[in-house]
Amino acid sequence: MELETLKTLWQEQETPPLAEPGREQMLALLQKQSGGPIARMRRNIRKEVILMVVCYGFCILFYLFAFSGSMSRVAWLFVGLFVFFYAYYYRKNQLLKKMQCMSCEVRSNLAGQLKTLQKYLRFYFWSSTVVVPVSLFVAFDIALHSDLGPVREWKIFALFALAAVLTIAVYFLNRWYIHKLYGRHVRKLQELLREMDEV
Amino acid sequence: MNLQDDFIRLVNDNRGILYKICRMYGDTDPDRQDLFQEIVIQLWRSYPSFRGDSKFSTWLYRIALNTAISDLRKQRRHITTVDPDSLPTQLQDIQYNTEKEEQLQSLYAAINRLTEVEKALTMLYLEDKSYAEMEEILGLPQNNLRVKMNRIKEKLRKMTKEAVYGVGNA
Repeated sequence: MELETLKTLWQEQETPPLAEPGREQMLALLQKQSGGPIARMRRNIRKEVILMVVCYGFCILFYLFAFSGSMSRVAWLFVGLFVFFYAYYYRKNQLLKKMQCMSCEVRSNLAGQLKTLQKYLRFYFWSSTVVVPVSLFVAFDIALHSDLGPVREWKIFALFALAAVLTIAVYFLNRWYIHKLYGRHVRKLQELLREMDEV
Repeated sequence: MNLQDDFIRLVNDNRGILYKICRMYGDTDPDRQDLFQEIVIQLWRSYPSFRGDSKFSTWLYRIALNTAISDLRKQRRHITTVDPDSLPTQLQDIQYNTEKEEQLQSLYAAINRLTEVEKALTMLYLEDKSYAEMEEILGLPQNNLRVKMNRIKEKLRKMTKEAVYGVGNA
């Protein structure tokens, strides 16, 4: 077929009646939530924040009031972690908000998406890796101030060894997990941009 | 007329474009329905910020193609099972009985073999968009678009010939 014939054929094709939603159907559709990957990620963040507020809230209250208040330092540890995670989710949500510009040119939307997604993943990776040794050292500091016996050298050595092992394990676990969750999407965006730019 | 009614009217006026994009990018009917819904949702979310700096159709193409191209769901691989009773038993059961419809089927089959970026370019070419409009929608420089378009035209010519005369006879 000649290309002009294809064009005519294309332009003259009829839209089937099934592709014409009525007003009521359209109104119902406008109330629906987006099923796109970024909208789903933002919804997941909201769920995680709710879960965090419930769990941390419970732990904070428990350690503040149980044991006649003698474990209140642990409650403050949870407050610290809560603040850290709140800032973490806030930053993630801000990055996700910036990730899409649907009414922008296709290329700039894809490039922006890739850049922000890579920033998001770096932030996700480092913050979830760093939180492990930091929590360990804070927990140790609390133990130190709770009269749990004298500080011996081997305890400090064990703490550093544990922190090192856990950090290395979490480093590789996070790398694998982030790649599993987002690797395909990153690759797809890179391929699309490569194809768009090659002449 | 309120914002919703205004929006619904505009979408209905341009439903042909949406239908073609969904048919191009969706592999199966549920995929196409999902994509249609997602495009309408994205259009509705962006509608309050549409200030008319560009033509409505340009804005609509951008959102629809952005949604179709960056949507991960269509990478799913479907295993479709066919109910033997639903298979056509007589020639008149086959839907695309006119020559035009068969040609259209061949065209869509050829388009289906293109990459996602090529599909977007093909759509705009078949809709008779100028290179300036393509640049406004896709954000690619016109010289790049021309080179790509020449390659795609050649591919389409070859693939639609194969579909009409059979592979290897073209």
